[in-house]
Amino acid sequence: MDKINRLIGNAHLDPIWLWRWQEGCAEVLQTFRSALDRLKEYNDFVFTCSSAAYYKWVEDIDPQMFEEIRMMVKKGRWVPVNGWWVQPDCNMPSGESYARQALYSQLYYYEKFGITCKTGYNVDSFGHNAMMPQLLQKSGMDFYVFQRPGMHENDEIPENLFWWDSADGSRVLTYRLPDGYASGGVDSLRRRIDELDKRADDAGYGLMLFYGVGNHGGGPTRGDIEFLKENLEREGYNELEFSSPDGYFEDILNEFLDLPSWGDELQHHASGCYSATSLIKALNRKAENALAAAEKWDTVSSIVTSSAPCTKEFEKAWQKVCFNQFHDIMCGCSIMEAYEDVKESEGYALNIASESYNNALLRISRKIDTWIDGVSDPVFEERHYSGADRGFPRPVVVFNPHSYEVELPVRTYHPSKAVKDCDGNEVLFQNIRSSRSNDDHLDTLFVAKVPPFGYATYWLELDSEARAEKEISCEQNFFMENEFMAVELDAETGFIKSLVDKKSGAQYADENFLAIPTVINDDKTDTWAHNVFKFHDVKGLMELVSIERVESGALRSVIRTKHKFNDSYLTQEFILAKGQKTLRVDCKAMWQESFTLLKFAFPVGGADEISTYEIPCGYIKRPCNGEEEPALNWADLTVNKDGKRVGLSVMSDSKYSYDCPGAELRLTALRNVIFADHYSDKPAASFNFTDEGLNRFSYGIYLHDGEAEGSDIVKEAHLFNNNIAVVPESYHKGELSQKECFLYTNLDNVVVTALKRCEDGSGDLVVRLYETKGVDSSRGYLMSKLFDNGFWFDIGKHEIKTFRIDRETNVTEVNFLEGIVK
Amino acid sequence: MAEAVKLSPQLTRVVSHFKKYDIEVPKSLLETRAQKPDLSDFPYPLPLKKKDYTCFCETDNGVFWYGGKGGVTRYNPNAESIYDKVMHFASRRDLLDNNVAALVPDGDGVWVLTDNGATHIDMVLMSMEDKAYKLLDETLTYVQRHSMVSQKHLSEAGNLKSILPYGHSDNDGTFTAGFAIGEIFHYVTLKRELGDFADETIEARKVAMRASEAVLLLMYIAGRGDGFVARTYLTSNEPVPDDGLFYKKNGATAVCLNTTDARQRGVVGFEIKADAPIPERLRRLYTCDGFDDNDITYKGDTSSDEITLHFLHLLVAHEFLGREDPEYDELLKIAAVNTATHIIKNNYALREIDGKYTTWAKWNLEYFNTAMGWADACLNAGQLLMYMRVTMHLTGEKGIWQETYDKLIESGYHKLTVKHFDRFNQVCVQGGIGFREDIMYGDHMLACASLWGLITLETDPELKEMFRQAFRTWRNSLAPEYNPGYDFLYFLSDPDNAKPDAERIKTWFYRFNVSRLAAGVSLDKRRDYPVRTFKGGYREVSALPPNDEHFIAKYDRDPLEYKNEDSGGALCVESCYPYTFAYWIGRYFKFIEEGKN
Repeated sequence: MDKINRLIGNAHLDPIWLWRWQEGCAEVLQTFRSALDRLKEYNDFVFTCSSAAYYKWVEDIDPQMFEEIRMMVKKGRWVPVNGWWVQPDCNMPSGESYARQALYSQLYYYEKFGITCKTGYNVDSFGHNAMMPQLLQKSGMDFYVFQRPGMHENDEIPENLFWWDSADGSRVLTYRLPDGYASGGVDSLRRRIDELDKRADDAGYGLMLFYGVGNHGGGPTRGDIEFLKENLEREGYNELEFSSPDGYFEDILNEFLDLPSWGDELQHHASGCYSATSLIKALNRKAENALAAAEKWDTVSSIVTSSAPCTKEFEKAWQKVCFNQFHDIMCGCSIMEAYEDVKESEGYALNIASESYNNALLRISRKIDTWIDGVSDPVFEERHYSGADRGFPRPVVVFNPHSYEVELPVRTYHPSKAVKDCDGNEVLFQNIRSSRSNDDHLDTLFVAKVPPFGYATYWLELDSEARAEKEISCEQNFFMENEFMAVELDAETGFIKSLVDKKSGAQYADENFLAIPTVINDDKTDTWAHNVFKFHDVKGLMELVSIERVESGALRSVIRTKHKFNDSYLTQEFILAKGQKTLRVDCKAMWQESFTLLKFAFPVGGADEISTYEIPCGYIKRPCNGEEEPALNWADLTVNKDGKRVGLSVMSDSKYSYDCPGAELRLTALRNVIFADHYSDKPAASFNFTDEGLNRFSYGIYLHDGEAEGSDIVKEAHLFNNNIAVVPESYHKGELSQKECFLYTNLDNVVVTALKRCEDGSGDLVVRLYETKGVDSSRGYLMSKLFDNGFWFDIGKHEIKTFRIDRETNVTEVNFLEGIVK
Repeated sequence: MAEAVKLSPQLTRVVSHFKKYDIEVPKSLLETRAQKPDLSDFPYPLPLKKKDYTCFCETDNGVFWYGGKGGVTRYNPNAESIYDKVMHFASRRDLLDNNVAALVPDGDGVWVLTDNGATHIDMVLMSMEDKAYKLLDETLTYVQRHSMVSQKHLSEAGNLKSILPYGHSDNDGTFTAGFAIGEIFHYVTLKRELGDFADETIEARKVAMRASEAVLLLMYIAGRGDGFVARTYLTSNEPVPDDGLFYKKNGATAVCLNTTDARQRGVVGFEIKADAPIPERLRRLYTCDGFDDNDITYKGDTSSDEITLHFLHLLVAHEFLGREDPEYDELLKIAAVNTATHIIKNNYALREIDGKYTTWAKWNLEYFNTAMGWADACLNAGQLLMYMRVTMHLTGEKGIWQETYDKLIESGYHKLTVKHFDRFNQVCVQGGIGFREDIMYGDHMLACASLWGLITLETDPELKEMFRQAFRTWRNSLAPEYNPGYDFLYFLSDPDNAKPDAERIKTWFYRFNVSRLAAGVSLDKRRDYPVRTFKGGYREVSALPPNDEHFIAKYDRDPLEYKNEDSGGALCVESCYPYTFAYWIGRYFKFIEEGKN
């Protein structure tokens, strides 16, 4: 009874959920007006609200009200929390996305209010990845508040207050909301403050009670505040005090409590959300990668060609992506109409990415010296080059946005009879079937080897005589192999019946077929899959309709399968190319099965199975207990097979959900349930379904020996998701050589995720990188022609580092806020 | 245990400075015309901006030297280690100033012309053992004071001849104990490798014994008879600084001198018993120089830092010196018993003349429950447990030591040891500062010493595992230093988790300065080390520079600190023990071994 429980007046606002964003915006304006009125009416009342996006709406629409908020923030009566653009889903955005959530939001708060948020606040997000402590700390926040999963979903996570650690060693003081982020009405409050009082006595320290109408906004009402004021001091009870999360955490630290610590993720709440509504998942992944790559090349271009960087455009684009990472959007559980809005805003972001990307690449490529003596006409006369028509090879520049060298097949849209690199060496190529229905029906695929974060010029001798019918004919067997693996599909089922890693000799399909398209029944839950954590009710396996080998060349082989299940069809193209460690599978699904999941099963078998999943800027190992798990670009199953430790990783271009029941890894590709179905019983009418209709996606299979983290899976999966760009060029003089590397690091376990201009307009460069293999590493260096030379760095396991390089080439290590906040 | 890291002789920088027209300076240096190097494709980070390099030369061994506005960079494309590909030489340690005008090759080294004169940089092939001896020689010649070794002050920067004959350190006991422990391991390593009667072994034993006696003397010299340990002592020919509590011995008593601290504490002129006998073999350390007991002024207000290294020293001295010298072993035991008794009788603290606790030697729950003591508790709890274990081990008796140990365990001291990171980090968050900027870097050695001692002696497997866990809580701040002096103790304590990094271990020894003469070295011109600034303004570099490219210090500073000056200031020569402690422990426990180049 000697403790102080803090009352946190807040409004949890969903800008999109069972409504579209326009309504969410109006709801924000109304809630903020109400909060200001309450603040004026009650001198001791304090209001807390998250999400920079909401403040930006108010600033744009009602500047007068925004000014009132500014005054209240200055007085400490209004406390912005969560220095991120929205309360995002905390499983699926990339590490770079979290950096941008912080960058654009904390700088906004800093500019408008002179503060940055100290408390991370994702009270409604459906689970929290294990890297969050580092992401929060590097966002400038030491404290965190969350609610999900609740105690009924995971009672191992400490109650109330604890220190939450990520694998790099970062930690944040974390508060687990015991009883919700929103409440309304005196009866509810009376019950809750009584319960809180008991809990505080049990805990031995004061707790927080969040009150205020939420979800659709509202915030604390007069009735709530009047009631609480009457009950601030009650005989025999702990004291109550109006406060904010910041105030609570700062006060509680003075009590010198020995608190428990937690070094794992905070899961699970809504396991269906990792796969529901493939559209948003695919758009998010695509936009994240497109913007990151575009910004890197825009930065290079701005230095190499003195062009103006598109920093402001990228800010707007990232803000759209960040907004759409709001948990009810990203998790696919909003109403169908809302996703029309999502398409628009993701399209906005993607368009900025593609325009700036193209502009940057062309600015650079036009400065490459591609001149050949004797070529007088440097422009196209028709679709093919005039130079080529006269026997000159055609220059093509291949750009690699990764910080490591890549060697992979790239495509140009015409056939060739020879391909050479810039040193005149012939490179492997293959004319493959184009997607055109006119002319020769052929494209060129050739192996490009491109320096880290650089480009390489290739020379193609076009073949005007080539015709698809002459070049493409295949012997119909279903076996493919390259230097790394051998794969054979079963003619009866279309499943993989043999998969051998040539390095380890391991046969992954010795016990079972692999890549089995499996239809899972999902008619017992809602869109979130509340209270369901496993999807194991198999309706059936898809049946083979056809199988054919469609390509068999020097560079690659392609086998196409077509499967059906009732009225749904799945076409897969299994592609294995020379020199590639990943077997690529391009999929087209026409899906009609209501209340189902489509999973691709890899029952590898073996013993001592460990599953590993990519999380933002890291990985996590989880038990192989069959629960649905979130992952970014890849998941992995590693087992003992024939006395060897071997693993199979599955990556995808747009999926985030897997499970691992024992020694079997399953990618969840589709989840077709009713949009925004919240704890409903059965559908009462004809609804729209989240994944019905045409779905295109790709997945890849990568084999390795040893544990996943020791393999190249991170680089393979990032490459799978971020194809290098191919720019057809013409003949011109230029100051740049035909091959160039702009930035590289010597550490194999480090990848660069961002190269950009600093947001403060100084022209400084910002480079962000992270450690991928879970090992402390020293004497790393990053070299670049973009800033005089390079610098040394040590990096801890799983650590994210951001460096800022000024015009004098002084290098500072900063957090996500780029050293702008002093 | 991992395989020993093989150390080989390395080219080690040795610099000599000259006036511009000194006869030693080659004429060619003054006449040479600087030629700007082409560094456009230089493959490693360069310490300076490319445009700031103004001259270069190549030495016979295929090594390139680049000079410019910021020092000299040596590039050895064939260097085996990445740490040695690029080396940098900067003022004041390596150059007279950083404006390099010309370079002239000279064997493996170069002559460097700068604004203020000329410098000869020689690259001398030296084994790590040779380096240990060279450093030891410098310490014995210039640094020791009454056989205590902390540092000596100079009247002129960089001039060893200007050493002041006096000058104490607050932590003479701690630093000398570290030195003595290193030299004891030096002795037993040679004894094992060369035999008892080799000249080198005999000499090493002499040095080790003298250092050990110097440490032990501090446990007796106050003469209070209650186990009180002095921080250090001065003889009558040395001035008494206004820095702490000093007691001038005078017959049977000692009187507290008039210093600021004494005035603040209200103890000026207080007298205290000082006639407890000092063993004659220890007294000889000052009587041999013509001083007697009345010439002694000792320093009080002793801290837990001192006591911790004293007890580790008692343990090591007992194991290796005491076992072959029963008379000395008895002195070690008496010292342990007396001081442990003092601590137990005084509510787990050292008590000063006024009956109050000393400022920094408190191991009781009363202190642990204060705002200051809450975070300290985790380190101090382990220290006190270690003192009890060491005393039991030395005496071979359980008695009051075991009773006390049991009581401490009952009070949860063992559980406190594992809370170091939790509590320390919490205090930092509370203070709004970063974890690394609030660390007392001297605590690293205290944690290593107390936990290594404790883990070595603990027999209960559960407690042993808990203390190992406690050691792990220090790795967050210890590991980034890659300091073998800490790491070897950790590896010994937790062999299953030990992951020695051979490359880092080699680099630490290879690149350790061959002299401990302070001079400072410029980091502020360097472009190859990013700087990070913590919330409270403290600055570090993002990569640990090799030892010969950052400031020199004892085991009490953050080697990542962005700092141009040596930690003792420019007018100082430090002792060698940071190197010799690590080297001889490494050799004895076979973490390292000497090999051929």
